[in-house]
Amino acid sequence: MSAMSDTFQWQLKGRCYKLGHNVPHPGGVVPQWVIVGRHFDAPDIIPHLFEETDPGFHTRCKPGDIIVTGKNFGMGPKMNGYIAMQALGLGLVCESMPFLAWRAAIGCGLRVMTDCVNVSEMCETGDELEVDFRNGFFINHTRDVRREYPPIPDSLLEVVQLGGNAGWLKHWHEIQGAGA
Amino acid sequence: MAGMTAVEKVLARKSGKAAVRAGDVVFPDPDFVMIHDGVVMGAKRELDSLGITRLAHPDKVIMVTDHDVIYGSPRAAERGAYNREAASVWGVKNFYDVGRGGHGHIFPMETGLLLPGMFYFDNDRHATNAGAIGAFGFRIGTEITRVLATGTNWVMVPKSVRLTLRGRLPDGVHARDIGFRIAALLQTGAITEDLDYRVLEYAGDLDQFALAARTALCSSPTEMRAYGVFLPPSEAILAHARAHAQRPFEPVYADQDAIYESAYELDISGLEPQVSTPGGVHNAVDLSEVAGTRVSHAFIGSCGSGMWDDMEQAAALLKGRRIAPHVRLFIAPGSEASTRRMAAGNLMQTFIEAGAVMLPAGCGPCNDAVIGPVHAGEVSISTATNNNAGRFGARDAKLYLGSPLTVAASAVAGEIIDARQLQ
Repeated sequence: MSAMSDTFQWQLKGRCYKLGHNVPHPGGVVPQWVIVGRHFDAPDIIPHLFEETDPGFHTRCKPGDIIVTGKNFGMGPKMNGYIAMQALGLGLVCESMPFLAWRAAIGCGLRVMTDCVNVSEMCETGDELEVDFRNGFFINHTRDVRREYPPIPDSLLEVVQLGGNAGWLKHWHEIQGAGA
Repeated sequence: MAGMTAVEKVLARKSGKAAVRAGDVVFPDPDFVMIHDGVVMGAKRELDSLGITRLAHPDKVIMVTDHDVIYGSPRAAERGAYNREAASVWGVKNFYDVGRGGHGHIFPMETGLLLPGMFYFDNDRHATNAGAIGAFGFRIGTEITRVLATGTNWVMVPKSVRLTLRGRLPDGVHARDIGFRIAALLQTGAITEDLDYRVLEYAGDLDQFALAARTALCSSPTEMRAYGVFLPPSEAILAHARAHAQRPFEPVYADQDAIYESAYELDISGLEPQVSTPGGVHNAVDLSEVAGTRVSHAFIGSCGSGMWDDMEQAAALLKGRRIAPHVRLFIAPGSEASTRRMAAGNLMQTFIEAGAVMLPAGCGPCNDAVIGPVHAGEVSISTATNNNAGRFGARDAKLYLGSPLTVAASAVAGEIIDARQLQ
């Protein structure tokens, strides 16, 4: 299946929002009740993104802003917070994530890079960042720092571009119908 | 060119490639797809919302009923009806309804549905049990929808860590004890610093382990975040597979020059029975450190200890004895076949006469306490897969884990004891 277009914005330019190590999904990214209550619709989740550590975050962030974290972000295969980040047009750059947390983020269509060594030491909240998730370029314009990190694998670009697993399936089904 | 690990060989074969390496992204053609009773509704509703009403390969789909077998609530009964309808609409013939099949991570190995060298997708992380028979089952979570609709999904080939077991396990010590010990060593970093998304491939003196023991060896590494566990099938395992195979199969073994991320050895010849203290399977200590702890709730079963051998060994300890008056002991066989065999022989009688309560084949209390939960402050010892707070009931209950031998003996004594004291 080929759905790659030239118009998708792989490069984000925006402000840094920095977090530390070991931020849990329940109680860190979103409140536990959002996960337990199985809330998967972006409008329901967005008001609660980082609510317990930074109330009102969703009113201050802008599309293109990039969340930069330390090690072990997400701490498990939950997807609720990534749905909100994707809908808000944010990017995510982590020093490390558990594999299934990264997979969940990809499955939500989030522009995400992990295994970005020491990236949280190269920026502070509010810095002007530019990140290309397709080729792995990371630039901190405020501090004139440039790095190259592992990008989203080529074979997964399509999933991200189509908005994640559900978006990919929707597109796949439309193609099936068109070909029938 | 260096050789391949077991998981690399299986994924290369299923992806139509001569070779794959850890880190490659592949789209394997699975031997089958497993989905359990707790998630069919969510998957079908998602597919329905996208207008996808036909599955790619209904003949490859196995629907199992193990998480809430006897419907502990009206909601569960409603879900069961939904699942039945889903199987009918989707045309899934391998639908194991209530009282059919049993635990999805156990009965397919007994019946020859799951065979050495196979690969399958599963919504559940305990698919790692497939390693017991020399196969791989990969947890895909909610992305099972893409597998159901299209037949596959992307897989990043995992790295492998090799663990060589040396020596003979002492009598009265169980393979689950090895798993608990491994979990403790993983926690301290004595065996690899991180098992996240790794395959733990066993090597060494493995011929001593039958299928049930191999299943036990898959359990604790899974709780320590292993994505797969693998034991190269012995002659005895191959003989079992040949005797039950429902189709041809080709076993897989790692190449001698396969590349592992790291390799470790563990001498099991002096191992003592282990108990994982509350809070995590990695909190394992020699049983003697917690001997005498009074318990009132006990359970034998789960992905880790629901095989026939587990039932037989527990029954041997309980024969002619009664559990302590203040203890309730639940027994959940892994398969309906085991239940029938227990009824036909004398095991069922032994358990009942000992004062135990028989549960239907399936997860038992280990699934969100839909049956046989603990209450606040209670102390339990069980063979559950893990003892994280609230695993089967009140969050402040104290959940200890032990082997089937330890749990059976402790139920009799009313406190944690070494089963060798009763043998």
